[in-house]
Amino acid sequence: MSNVKDLIGLELEPYSMAVEKGKIKELALALGDDNPIYYDLEAAKKEGYDGIPIPPTFLQVIDLWGGLGSAEKVEKLKFNLVRVLHGQQAYEYLGDIVAGDVLSVTSKVVAAETKSGSTGVMEFVSLENQYQNQRGELVAITRSTLVHRL
Amino acid sequence: MMFYEDVNEGYEFPVLKKEPITRVQLVRFAGASGDFHPLHLVEEVAEKAGMKILAHGMLVMGMLSHGVTSWVSRKNIKKLQVRFSKMTFPGETIQIVGKVLEKKANNIVLCEVQAKNIEGEVKVAGVFEATLPSRKL
Repeated sequence: MSNVKDLIGLELEPYSMAVEKGKIKELALALGDDNPIYYDLEAAKKEGYDGIPIPPTFLQVIDLWGGLGSAEKVEKLKFNLVRVLHGQQAYEYLGDIVAGDVLSVTSKVVAAETKSGSTGVMEFVSLENQYQNQRGELVAITRSTLVHRL
Repeated sequence: MMFYEDVNEGYEFPVLKKEPITRVQLVRFAGASGDFHPLHLVEEVAEKAGMKILAHGMLVMGMLSHGVTSWVSRKNIKKLQVRFSKMTFPGETIQIVGKVLEKKANNIVLCEVQAKNIEGEVKVAGVFEATLPSRKL
């Protein structure tokens, strides 16, 4: 049986995607978030932005539309899709990200372990993504932990 | 506008109550986010896995961040991290609660944030760090 720890250091294919204001609006609507900065450039400028900013969790859009889909990513980690849960998610925002920016993303497995508890054996895998904009500035770092119930 | 000098450790932010989650919202969120995991969308797949259709964890985290940005300006949020503790199902109503845990140097506050249903079950919980504007220039 392969050891989940072997995944540590695994780098996923880098990807790149433009931040589109249509996708920003679509996500804000799906969340029921009526903050005008996501819909209106003037409102965004009043808050000190050069363009329409992304909602805090928008980087998921870049990951799933720009990189591997969730099913493909889970396959890459050799997990069974219906037995995978999202355990934890962390965001660190280092600079503004606004519509029109182009983000280049690197993604790698930074932690992996097996734990047994009262509900059975589970594998935990953490991926760290780094987001650079078109000027080469590191603007965000995210870490997501997936839980695979064996 | 909330200033650094005006908040104390333990200060509780006003609760943000969201609309009940609908199945249509899950479809909408799937398209927006790109997460088409069938457990959120297809009844038969959920049943086969011995479950019911459940909401995307990231939908609930998105609601949680709506709460955070209703308290502090979007631009001032530096870090946000959460743990997904309970599944959320269509029909549930989520409310976002939070409080200041610690006032740090440089106008930074460390705060707790939770997304719970109206029965008080915590779905997503974590912390965020934000800078608050100062009254002193």
